[in-house]
Formats: sequence, C-alpha cells, structure tokens
Amino acid sequence: MPMLERKSKVSDEIPTASMADIAFLLLIFFLTTTVFEEEKGLPIVLPEAAAETVEVSQSNIIHFLVREDGAVAIRRGESQAEQVVAYSEIEGIMRQEIANNPNIIAAVKTAPDAPYRHMINVLDELQSAAAQRISLQLWER
Amino acid sequence: MAKPSAGFQKKSKAQSEIPTASMADIAFLLLIFFMVSTTFRREQNRHLSFPRAEATQKVDEKRRNILHLWIEPDGAVYINDSRIPMDMVAEVVLPLYRESDRHLMIAIRGDRDVPYKFINAVTEQLREANAVRVFFHTDLESRLARERR
Repeated sequence: MPMLERKSKVSDEIPTASMADIAFLLLIFFLTTTVFEEEKGLPIVLPEAAAETVEVSQSNIIHFLVREDGAVAIRRGESQAEQVVAYSEIEGIMRQEIANNPNIIAAVKTAPDAPYRHMINVLDELQSAAAQRISLQLWER
Repeated sequence: MAKPSAGFQKKSKAQSEIPTASMADIAFLLLIFFMVSTTFRREQNRHLSFPRAEATQKVDEKRRNILHLWIEPDGAVYINDSRIPMDMVAEVVLPLYRESDRHLMIAIRGDRDVPYKFINAVTEQLREANAVRVFFHTDLESRLARERR
C-alpha cells in the first residue's frame, strides 16, 4: 500500500553544521596547550682536540680565577698579583680591556670544586661585554 | 501606501548563504596537520635547576641537531635517558656527531651546583669527539637580579 505510507517527519540526516565548530575547538585547544621547549643558553666553541697549542703572549691574556666560594680574582699577564673583583665589575673591566687590546683572551680558570654557576656568572659577564675570545680552563693549583 | 514595485520584485536566484559544508573538512585537515607535525621529545626531564645568566640567547639550530647532555649535581652524565660513564661520553657522542653531518650542537644542561671539574671533564670528552659547538643551558636572568648577586 504505497499510497498510504506516511512520510516520516524526522530528518534522516546527521546534523553536520556543528562539526566545524567542534573541529576548530579541538584545533585551538591543541594550538594553545602545545608548549615548545626553547633551546637557550650561552654558546661557546671549544678548541678542537687536534688543534696545535698556540703560544700566546702573556700580555694578551687576562685570567679570571674563580674560587670554590665564588670569589673572582683577576690576574693580568705575567704578574702574579691577584685583584679580587665583584661580578658586577667584570663586564666593565672586560669592555675596557677589549677597547685597549682587541686581541685580548679572557681565560676563565675555575677551581675543580667550585660550583658550575660561578663559572656561568663570569661567562655571562664576559659575553655581556661582547668578548669573543674566551678560554675555559680548570684551575689546577 | 505600499511601494508600487513591491509586487513585481524579482527573487534573486543567487544563494545568500556562505557554503559551510566544507568548513569541517578544513578544520580537521589543519588539526591532523598539527598533530602529525608535532614531535615530542621522548626524553624525560631530569628536574635540575639551571644556572641563570643575563646574556642568555636563543640558539638558532635545528632541533634535531641539538643533543642534550645532562649533568646531575653528583657528576652523573645522562644522554637520551641513559647514564653514561664520564670516559665513555666521547664514544657515545662521536657516532651521533657523524650522523648529523657535523652539525651537532651539544646542549650542556648542568645543574647549577655541579662542581666545575665534571663540566671540564665533559668538555674534554666533547673535544675528543670533535663536537666543539656547545652551549651551556641557562635560564634568562634580569639585570636587576644579576646586580644583586
């Protein structure tokens, strides 16, 4: 009896109008919750192992001696005199040294048992002073 | 007073609705793109406190060319979640360095209280492996905080 069949008033389609909203919601959720880990730090290029040891005139070297307790002393060239400085002074001193002698090498000598952060503090000051030639060494006494 | 032309107004046949049927497809496509292109580092965080530095700068190197080298306060070295004895670091880094076509950069992630001798031992090992481009991972420090130390 096809003629008497009643037409169903219920829509037989799945409503897809809100699909876009759902998808964008998910998209925005993932976009905002993703955190990218930043790679940051103090870059430095180590000397190569095969590099020949180059004799550098003592007058071109300024030593920064980092002690176990974090105190920093400066020793210039040949002289044995050590001058204790505060971290905040290092940047100014280094800028002065670079202005006087662009070839100056900053040698950071750190005591074996000194915490790493003290060396980083000195390196931070040197890099803030735009020092290009930095050498990191273990202070063997 | 009706407008005389009202009865004759022609119905426009152009649809006035913006087609939104493909919107979901676009959104899902974007969603899938971001899900696929996001790579997660499988390395676990070692919860160290890094030293702080004002001169901290972003490292401009591709992520896959950066190798993390963790140094715990007792001098234990970890690469890719496995503990590496100090004198084996060069042996572990060398093949990775070759694989990366000599672009490998080492992120030295040392705890702020590591005695310096361990850092020095690690840099000596890295020099042996020819991986001379390194950076010391630091957190950014404001100038004010720096002046107080």
